[in-house]
Amino acid sequence: MNAVSELIREIDSLQPMPQIAQQVLALAEDPKADTEKIARLIYFDPYITADLLKMCNSAYFARSRTIDSLHDAINILGLDRIVDLVVMKCGSSNFKGGQKGYGLDEGLLWKKAVSCAIIARDLAMRIRLAERHLVFTAGLLRDIGKVVLSRFVADRMERIQRLVAEDGYSFREAEKKVLGVDQSELAGIIAKKWGFSPRLQAVIRNSHMAGGAVFSDDAANVVYVADQVCIMLGIGVGLDGLAYRFHREALGALGLSARDLQEIIADFGDRIREVEDLIGSF
Amino acid sequence: MKVIVGVSDMKVSSKPGEELITYSLGSCIGVVIYDPAVRVGGILHYMLPESSLDQEKAKRNPFMFADTGIPALFRATYTLGAKKQRMKVVIVGGAQILDQQGFFNIGKRNHMAVKKMFFRNNVIASHEDVGGCVNRTVRLNILSGDIHIKVGGEGEKKL
Repeated sequence: MNAVSELIREIDSLQPMPQIAQQVLALAEDPKADTEKIARLIYFDPYITADLLKMCNSAYFARSRTIDSLHDAINILGLDRIVDLVVMKCGSSNFKGGQKGYGLDEGLLWKKAVSCAIIARDLAMRIRLAERHLVFTAGLLRDIGKVVLSRFVADRMERIQRLVAEDGYSFREAEKKVLGVDQSELAGIIAKKWGFSPRLQAVIRNSHMAGGAVFSDDAANVVYVADQVCIMLGIGVGLDGLAYRFHREALGALGLSARDLQEIIADFGDRIREVEDLIGSF
Repeated sequence: MKVIVGVSDMKVSSKPGEELITYSLGSCIGVVIYDPAVRVGGILHYMLPESSLDQEKAKRNPFMFADTGIPALFRATYTLGAKKQRMKVVIVGGAQILDQQGFFNIGKRNHMAVKKMFFRNNVIASHEDVGGCVNRTVRLNILSGDIHIKVGGEGEKKL
């Protein structure tokens, strides 16, 4: 593994989540928070407002009329959706380029991040989990470790893939063995460095089911299952392929069956093209 | 011209300048068919084995499921003059995440679904590239009938 300092330098080169996203998220997660306060925060950021309107008018929302003010957007789509869009906008900068080390062309990891976030939120609604914005954000950012590690895995990929193909390692386990650190550990480190709430940090870290699975956290299970669906569908899959462990305990902990899993896949299948359109509006 | 076949999608063509391509098949299956006599072909990229899961969705998008998508694929090529007896048929995808067993394994179930349908309808696949934990991309050139498969981490191969 390269020097730790090199890795830290790479983490420092990431664009941290803007403060506004964290403030909006904190308010949205607080059941006692005043929704007006959230709206005001967004109103006073012209860049976010402009981008939001662009996203609201994408085919993803398939509205017959144009939304041309933030007031309309909140009224028509609801503040819940607007919060997710703010987080999505703010989280996009690091994902947009390609991650060549993982064999991912430009935009593919971003597509996976958005897909994972949307599936996680829908899944949270299905099981009536209150932390909808939290799982959306964790789904969006759970692969941030790959952005950093991409450069480091590039010249070690052959060894990693050999461990997967010949010795039964999962990709993450092989990564850890070869590099000394894996994408999920890094995601947890970045979440902490960016000052996310301890809860969001924990969900990002645990949703990778690394270092012995933890199935007692429903939010982490939801994000994990959403990620597995993306991998099954080949979304954002590069040289790592589908070589990740499927822990059916996560489904069981959420009270979901194999049929539920198929329904979740089918629900998302209905929306894949709209998601592409939404991504195109960034 | 490149024509992209998305997830839960199907495209057929008789245009010599076109190449159909579907990217990154994971557990999904890509069914590629081609009639060299009339130079007509198509690709279906389905996600799930059976439409009984959700009839409404199947009606809206038959290409999501094997049992509704596969007949639609063949029928669409027949309207362009293709015949089943002359068809070259290739099945690609059906990979799995590690440690999936039994009925949780969508990739395996997707593969079984197409095998079952082909058996019932006397269709024999000339080539299969399925299973494992890799993702695959497949393309079909309408003029030449050439089919190329790219498996994640390996170079592209021509069938």
